[in-house]
Amino acid sequence: MAVPFQCVQACRPDPQDHSSWVLLAASGPRIYSCHSSGATSVWSSQKISEPPVHADEPQEPPGKKVKLSKQAEEPPNVSKLVVTSDYQHLVAVTAEDKCLRVFRLDLTGRLEPLSERPMPKRPCAVTLIENDATILCADKFGDVYALPLVPSPTDADDIFVAAQEKKETSASFVPTATPLTVHSGRNRKALEDQLKQKLQPKTKGPLKFKHDLLLGHVSMLTDILYAEIAGEKAEAKPRTYIFTADRDEHIRISRGPPQSHIIEGFCQGHREFVSKLCLTGSGDLISGGGDDDLIVWDWLNSRMLEKISIKQPVLDFFKAHPQHARPPQESEGDLKVAVSGIWAIPSSSSRDSVLVTCEGVPALFLFKIDSEKKVSSLQQTLPLVGNPLDLTLLESGQSTEVIIVSIDHTREPGSTTMLRQKEVNVILEQLNDQAQGDGLLGREVEVANAENPGKQAALQDIFYGIENLRKRAGAED
Amino acid sequence: MPGAPSKRQKREQYKESLGKDDQSGALPKKKFYRQRAHANPFSDHSLTYPKSPSDMDWASYYPAYAAKVDESEATVTQAPKEEDASKQITRPVEIADIGCGYGGLLFALAPKFPDTLLVGMEIRISVCEFVQEKIRALRHQNLATGAYQNVTCLRANTMKFLPNFFAKAQLAKIFLCFPDPHFKARKHKARIVSTTLNSEYAYVLKPGGIVYTITDVEDLHNWMVEHFVAHPSFKRLGEEEQEQDVCVEVMRTETEEGKKVGRNGGQKFVACFRRMEDPPWP
Ligand SMILES: C[S@@+](CC[C@H](N)C(=O)[O-])C[C@H]1O[C@@H](n2cnc3c(N)ncnc32)[C@H](O)[C@@H]1O
Repeated sequence: MAVPFQCVQACRPDPQDHSSWVLLAASGPRIYSCHSSGATSVWSSQKISEPPVHADEPQEPPGKKVKLSKQAEEPPNVSKLVVTSDYQHLVAVTAEDKCLRVFRLDLTGRLEPLSERPMPKRPCAVTLIENDATILCADKFGDVYALPLVPSPTDADDIFVAAQEKKETSASFVPTATPLTVHSGRNRKALEDQLKQKLQPKTKGPLKFKHDLLLGHVSMLTDILYAEIAGEKAEAKPRTYIFTADRDEHIRISRGPPQSHIIEGFCQGHREFVSKLCLTGSGDLISGGGDDDLIVWDWLNSRMLEKISIKQPVLDFFKAHPQHARPPQESEGDLKVAVSGIWAIPSSSSRDSVLVTCEGVPALFLFKIDSEKKVSSLQQTLPLVGNPLDLTLLESGQSTEVIIVSIDHTREPGSTTMLRQKEVNVILEQLNDQAQGDGLLGREVEVANAENPGKQAALQDIFYGIENLRKRAGAED
Repeated sequence: MPGAPSKRQKREQYKESLGKDDQSGALPKKKFYRQRAHANPFSDHSLTYPKSPSDMDWASYYPAYAAKVDESEATVTQAPKEEDASKQITRPVEIADIGCGYGGLLFALAPKFPDTLLVGMEIRISVCEFVQEKIRALRHQNLATGAYQNVTCLRANTMKFLPNFFAKAQLAKIFLCFPDPHFKARKHKARIVSTTLNSEYAYVLKPGGIVYTITDVEDLHNWMVEHFVAHPSFKRLGEEEQEQDVCVEVMRTETEEGKKVGRNGGQKFVACFRRMEDPPWP
C-alpha cells in the first residue's frame, strides 16, 4: 500500500507558461515532483550515516541508545515543504535528522539538492522572508533562527574561524565556581555535575553554517509567520513583524530583523495550544489550535476581534455523515478538535475567506471572515474521501483556484488510528476543478505506489501530531 | 500505616491548624514547606495562570487594594469592559521578585515601598505556600497599620508565563536573586537569564525600569552580565548608581541565599540593568 503524502505544494515555475504546473508531494522520506507535461522525478533522503551522538547526555540508559541508532538506519521523513515565491527553490525539513534542506527547482520541476543543514533542535515550522533570501526556522525548543536560503561560501569560512576561536577559549575554561564560592547545597550539587561533565569529551560541535538566533520562547513552537506593513510616514520603510505560536497558548508578535529582540505584543485568549496561524488577504490574523474556537485578531493592537466556533461545524459534519469512524469519547461536549491547517484564499470579493482542516476530520471548512462587522461565518463544508493531511492552492487565472488536498487513504475517515477496511485509490483530491482538467489526479498514485508500509509508525506523528500537543491533566508538579 | 504519623500527615495536620483563628497571627514554620530543590521549567506543571493580565484576579491577592466595583470614580487599572471588575485593583503591580524562594527580599522591601505593590513568583508549590502563609500572618499582626497589604506571592513558571501576568511596560523593577545556576551547557536554556528570555523581561518592564541580579556563582554572574549587555534593550548601571540604590543593599542582606552566603563568608556578585527606550523602527 502506498504511504500518503504528508505534504503537498503546487506551483507554476515557468512564468512564461500559465498553463503548466508542478506538484511537489512528500511521502515518507521521498519528495515526488510531477510536471503538467507528464515528467516525474523522485528525491529520497538518505539514511543517516552516523547515529546522532548526544555527548551532553552521558547518563542515557543503554536501552535508549539502541533505539536511537536503530531509528537512524531509516531514512528521515519529510515533515515540511515550502516553495519560494519565485518558485526557484524548495525548502524541505526532514524530521528525524532535524535537517533543513534546500533544493533548486527547475522549470520542469526537477529537484537539485543544494544544501542540508542539521539544526540543533527539530524544526517545527519554517517561513521565508526578505524576498525569500532568508529562512526563518522555528524549533521544538522554542527558538527561531534566521539562515540564508543559499549559504555563501564566505559565511561558512567565517563560521569555521569563529568555531576555532571558541574552541581555544573553551579549552582554557576553568570553572570559576569553587567550593569556596558555592555555599548552598543545591549549588554545590550543580557544581559537582559541572566538574563531572568536563571529563566528557564533547563531540557535538557548534553548527558549521551561518545561523542567527532571532528570538525564543520557553515552549515548543508550532507555527511562524512574517508580515510587512507600510511604515507610519509615507517615506518610511515598511515595518516587518514575526508572529510565533507555541504550545503554551501564546502568540507573540515581535519586530522583524534587525529588531527581532523587541516584543511588540501578545495575542492572548487561547486556553489550549495554538497550532496554526494565518494572515487573511486584508491582514487580520487568524489562529487555531486545541480550542473550540478560531480567533480573529487585530494583531497590531493585540486585540481579539472575534471568536468563530470550529467545533460546531465539526460536530455538524459528523452528524451529517454518521458513516464515519468517530473518535471514541463522544458525548458531544467531549469532542476535541485540533486545528491542523488554516489557509487564506485570495478572493476577488471584498471579504476574506479561509479554509480550515482539523486533525482526523475528513472535510474542509470554508469560512468567510468579516471581523470588522464581527459576522464571520461558516460558508461551506466540503466532505473529503479521507482525512486531509495537507492542502495546496494553485492559482489559475483571475481568482479561480484549484484546491489539492492530500488524503490519508490508509486510515478510516474520521479516525487517526484505525486502518481502512476498504482501500480507496485517492491519494490527492482535487476540488474547485474548473480550469485544470484531470491532469493532477491519478498520476501521483502511480508514482507513489511502490512504498513499503512498514514505516507508518514513524510517520504517525507527522500525520497526526497535533492533538498530542494537548496538555494532559495531572502533569508532574 | 500504624505507628508514628508520616511526614506528610504531620504536614497536613500542621497546615490544618493554621486555618484556626487563634493561629492567624502565627508565622509558618519552614520545615513543613521544604521541597526538592529543582523544578523543571520546561515541563507541564499543573499550573494555573490567567489567559492575559486583565484576566488576573489580583483583588484576591491584594484585598486592601480591590477596586470598588460600584464606585464609578474608582480608577480601575487595565480593565477592558468585558472583564470582571471585581478582580481588579486600584494600582498595577510594579515590583516582581522572580524565583522569590522563601520571600526574604519581599518582606524587607514591602515596608520600604509602602505605596507600591510587590509580587513574588515561585515555581515550587510548597515554598510559595510558605510565603503566602507568612504574608497572611504578617498582615494579621499588622492590622492596625495595614503593613504587608502591598505584597503577595503566587505560584508561576515565570520562564513561560510572565506575559500572562504583566502587561507591556507595567513593571518598574524585576529581581533575579541567586537564581539556580544550571552549570551544564545542555541546561543553559533552563537558566532564568538568556538572550531570548531577556526580551520578555524587556517587554514587561517600562523604559527606565531596572533588573537587579545577584549571585554567589561568578560564572553565572558573568553569564548574566554577558547576556544582558548583549541585549540592545538593556544597559548596565554604573558602580556608583548601583551602590546608591537601596534595593541593592536589601538584596545582599535580606534574601535567604544572601544570608547563607554571608554566614559562610562568600562573595556576592551584583549587576543591575536599565531597560532602555525602544529604538525607532528601521
Ligand atoms: C536559589 S533559589 C533563590 C531564592 C531567593 N531568590 C533568594 O535569593 O533567597 C531560586 C528559586 O527560583 C525558583 N525558580 C526556578 N525556576 C523558576 C521559574 N521558572 N519560575 C519561578 N520560579 C523559579 C526556584 O524554585 C527557587 O526557589
